[in-house]
Amino acid sequence: MSDDGASLRRALGLRTTVSTSTGLAFAALEYLAAAALVVYVAGDSAWIAVGVAGLLALLAWGFFGELNGMFPTAAAIRLYMQRAMDDRAALTIAFTYMTTIVLVIAADAFIVGSALARAFDEPAWVAGVWISALLAVAVGANLRGVQVAGGLQDLATYLVLAATVAVCVTGLVRSHRALRFPLEPLHGHGIGGLAEAVALGVFLYSAFEWVTTSAEEVRRPHHIHRGMLIAVAVLFAVCSLVTLAMSHLLTHRQLGTAFPQLELGRAAFGQAGLWVMAAVSALTALNTFNGGFITASRFVYGTAREGSLPRRLAQLNDRAVPWVPVLALGSTSLVVALVVAVTHGWQVLVATGAALEAMIYAVAALCTLRLRAREPDRQRPFRVRGLRVLGVAGVVVFGALALVASVSVGDRFDPVPLAIVAVAGVLSASYVIWVLPGVRAAEVARRAATPRRRPPRPAAPPAPGPVEESGGP
Amino acid sequence: MATREEIAEAYADWRGRSNANERLKKMARGWDRVIHFRTTDTAEGFTVEVRDQQLSDLAFGPADRPDVIVTATSEDLCDMFWGDLNPSERYMTGEITLAGSQHDVMRIDAMTMVAFLDR
Repeated sequence: MSDDGASLRRALGLRTTVSTSTGLAFAALEYLAAAALVVYVAGDSAWIAVGVAGLLALLAWGFFGELNGMFPTAAAIRLYMQRAMDDRAALTIAFTYMTTIVLVIAADAFIVGSALARAFDEPAWVAGVWISALLAVAVGANLRGVQVAGGLQDLATYLVLAATVAVCVTGLVRSHRALRFPLEPLHGHGIGGLAEAVALGVFLYSAFEWVTTSAEEVRRPHHIHRGMLIAVAVLFAVCSLVTLAMSHLLTHRQLGTAFPQLELGRAAFGQAGLWVMAAVSALTALNTFNGGFITASRFVYGTAREGSLPRRLAQLNDRAVPWVPVLALGSTSLVVALVVAVTHGWQVLVATGAALEAMIYAVAALCTLRLRAREPDRQRPFRVRGLRVLGVAGVVVFGALALVASVSVGDRFDPVPLAIVAVAGVLSASYVIWVLPGVRAAEVARRAATPRRRPPRPAAPPAPGPVEESGGP
Repeated sequence: MATREEIAEAYADWRGRSNANERLKKMARGWDRVIHFRTTDTAEGFTVEVRDQQLSDLAFGPADRPDVIVTATSEDLCDMFWGDLNPSERYMTGEITLAGSQHDVMRIDAMTMVAFLDR
């Protein structure tokens, strides 16, 4: 792995890598996922599911660490999937995975919009106005190429975490009630409930691996790997506390709302706490929108530039922003967010996101295994020990979790998330199988018709022939 | 392998096109950067600066604290400067690597694309 980062004028340090990794995972959707998780286990024992999920997140950390070490680039997901499997399968999975970003942006817009409407005591329909305004601001900022400075991102993430911890601890201390079944998750609940809780628990950590797209801008290559590890530890601590506080302080009805974090804030500090958590929810959107829009639009731009998507998706505005993917992402997220607002289907959103993230972790395990066999001599600054066992375990466990998450919504059987993932997969596969060959053929034809500009190298002078010996005088 | 002279000639052509392109000048507004290129096959290094929306002359040798480092073969860099190579393709296969912020990487790719949009 090169050390180019050390010589760059501007490079990200470990602190920003940790905040980026943590911030990408700790979206506003985190609170809803935590609230959804606590109903699957007994009393105040949800932290156990969060801990088990944390161990699984460490497994994912290992896989992404090895893959990122082999391909320290923002295009890593394309690279390692392409080399580990058939390119069409790799593209199908990558496109399906991008659905997660749409869901997370839509979810955050919905949650923040709902939280603001609740905080201002407005009717529910006003959330739709807030959602539209938030996404319009995000799209506008992205189209203008506005960047969130690393320092501001650090501040936002650490503020969110600190405020959340303060609210949870204060609420627990003020409750003056003993914890109920903190070590007995199966008390009155089946093993299936624990499995579902673990699947949602994995979702609490998901997106921490998106920091690998910053591999080209870190000061030291190992900052990505270490940053992810520290992020997993931070997420375990904070999410355990959040689930503990939610299960202890909130009623079943409050857990089922679109803004359980506001209820948590009110339990801790009254109306002021509600306002604090509304502000915290809005602050999470900073990282989510910033990271989500940049990651997704850049992926679409890069894929269009390499000829796997129509060329118009690589069009840039005068600020060098790929405006077509940004607009498409913003409008798609808006539609999804408004549908969720109208149908109250945020729990479906959480379950779908959990299924997609577990799926990509299974794919990462598979890619790590296959690349060990296909490219054994490639430099690996970090290697997963016992990959033969852990890799297979990763594929099986994350695959099972993806399935569990996709057929369960709010403690009941519901195949809607599975249907959503299946539709995304079918659409992606259909594009790759039936549309992509035409797109690539058009690109090949366009290049063949474009003459080369580079002047040919001048022909080398002919080599001198053998010298003839002259005769005598 | 491309020689220094070939790289210099290719860069001079790209520089001329880029500096005369009004759209690229808009894109480079407020974007002063030092870009260092490294060749993997000839072990050469050369640096260009973007200053006041203009590309500078090419300077061979190491760079002190560049903003972006582009690493590729000399042939790929030459072809890229002539507009015969889409650097994104090589980037997506790992043959061209970059170090720098995603924002700066996007700008450089924009410069390689927009300069030859009329082709």
